[in-house]
Amino acid sequence: MKSFYKLVLATAFSLSSLSAFAAGSETPEGKVQSTFPPISSDAYEKFGGKYGMDRWVEGLFKYIMLDNRINYIFTAHGKIDRQIKLNQQLVAVMLGAPGVEYQGASMSAAHAEMGITLTQFNAVVEDAYLACEDLRTPYHTCNQLIAALAPFKRSIVTR
Amino acid sequence: MNGYSRGCGKKAAIAFACATLGFAISGAAQAGIYDAGKVLATSGVNITDGAAGGGITPWAVIAGYETNQGINGSIHYTYANLPNYSLNSLGVAVGFYDRLELSYAYDLLPTGSTFNTVGLLTNTLAGVAIQDSGIDPFNTAIRMDIFGAKLRVLGESIYDSDTLIPQVAIGGFYKINHNGALMDTLLANKRKDFEAYVAITKIFFPLDLLFNVTVRYTAANQTGLTGFGGPNKNSREFRPEVSFAYLLAKNVAIGAEYAAHGKNTDGRGVAVGGGIDTSVLGSITGALNNIGVGGPVGNLANNLNSTLTQRESDWYDVFFAYFPNKNLSFVAAYANLGNITLTPKQTGAYFSVQASF
Ligand code: HEM
Repeated sequence: MKSFYKLVLATAFSLSSLSAFAAGSETPEGKVQSTFPPISSDAYEKFGGKYGMDRWVEGLFKYIMLDNRINYIFTAHGKIDRQIKLNQQLVAVMLGAPGVEYQGASMSAAHAEMGITLTQFNAVVEDAYLACEDLRTPYHTCNQLIAALAPFKRSIVTR
Repeated sequence: MNGYSRGCGKKAAIAFACATLGFAISGAAQAGIYDAGKVLATSGVNITDGAAGGGITPWAVIAGYETNQGINGSIHYTYANLPNYSLNSLGVAVGFYDRLELSYAYDLLPTGSTFNTVGLLTNTLAGVAIQDSGIDPFNTAIRMDIFGAKLRVLGESIYDSDTLIPQVAIGGFYKINHNGALMDTLLANKRKDFEAYVAITKIFFPLDLLFNVTVRYTAANQTGLTGFGGPNKNSREFRPEVSFAYLLAKNVAIGAEYAAHGKNTDGRGVAVGGGIDTSVLGSITGALNNIGVGGPVGNLANNLNSTLTQRESDWYDVFFAYFPNKNLSFVAAYANLGNITLTPKQTGAYFSVQASF
């Protein structure tokens, strides 16, 4: 019995030190998101290139603004057009689009003050899937983007 | 002493569990701590032991759709139709802040024809010094209460997609099997015992894959449905369980599971009376001859050696899970539970339905 608890504790301890290390690293807005395993190299193309990606972000904001769980947060801040434009840049960079630069603030700078909850973050994730469906983007392709955006949770969710 | 007549005692436990859930949910609503913020399907489903997981293996996910913002929970009913048994599991699991999970399940296993031979034999031998086998021929059901708790200790299977850090939870069950006399017949050392486990879950979104490894520290025979430990020992051991789920769509998963089982009573007989273990069957056959039992029972006795040897196998299942929305989910599976005590080749369909709040 004792040895079992020791094992559990040792595992928990070594893994938590790992996670502390990971949480400390800032998520990269400026470059391709590195995930395990890496997102598929043709994800940007599968999303329909620049045209498809831009429409996807518009679709995402359509669903966000229809989502009563979170839309009030966005209306309170206004600047939806700016957000759409910046998000179009951001997701393109995340999926490795050539020659695109993200010109907005870091994820923590943009969201830290808002006290966003995980429940609200997940609402955006669910709206992201809906936007994929609108564009007939396959679930597998959509998951490449979800994998790339998921780590932003650590800088966006502060509650 | 048979299955159904003592089931009423269990109603109290179920009522207690339901009341607890009811208070938790209504209390949550009042205090504004009700939450259903997890992404669809990421709550897992409730296993036959009551905890959140796949079908037979607890995962590191916490039951219910709550995030760290509140409380949520679910109830389940599972039915597995096997050649010689049917497994029924009814339960409730409540998740607190995506951190702590408390669960209760009531498992009911009507044994069909499995133990009739043993029951008839012990009844036939009633003239000889015989103990209560716990078997009422043609009417025996095994009943077990399972209380569970699970704590998520680190990691987030979804958001840590840029690292290899998995979501890790530790948990335990306390299982109370209500068929004490039958457990004696099956040579199990105990009818109540605890199990502890560590579960590690990781989602690989780029591959649409969820992977889970659980190590369970247990002495259970057939998850405890046939007791804990064997005739000579009740030492717990570490047993691995592995699951993977391939996410076909945001509301559909298919997958497979494997759970290692122990060998506590594997190869053993059953105790049919006067401390006789059928693994030394000569004495039984002898006893039958001595009291002049011939005909079908005599023939039976000659075949008893193989019939009355218990076996236990590792469990496997392949499953299909469908989550139409956050309030409802269905699992259809094909389970291969191998040899269960006296009956080989227990494979069959498994259905589960869960409702979340
Ligand atoms: C992976 C998820 C998310 C991504 C990729 C994302 C991305 C962005 C970007 C690129 C900006 C613009 C930053 C700038 O103005 O320089 C922004 C701003 C904003 N985001 Fe997010 N966001 C995410 C999640 C959320 C969530 C969950 C909420 C709230 C429910 C939210 C609410 C806002 C608001 C209100 C602003 C405007 C802030 C301001 O103008 O002051 N975001 N986000």
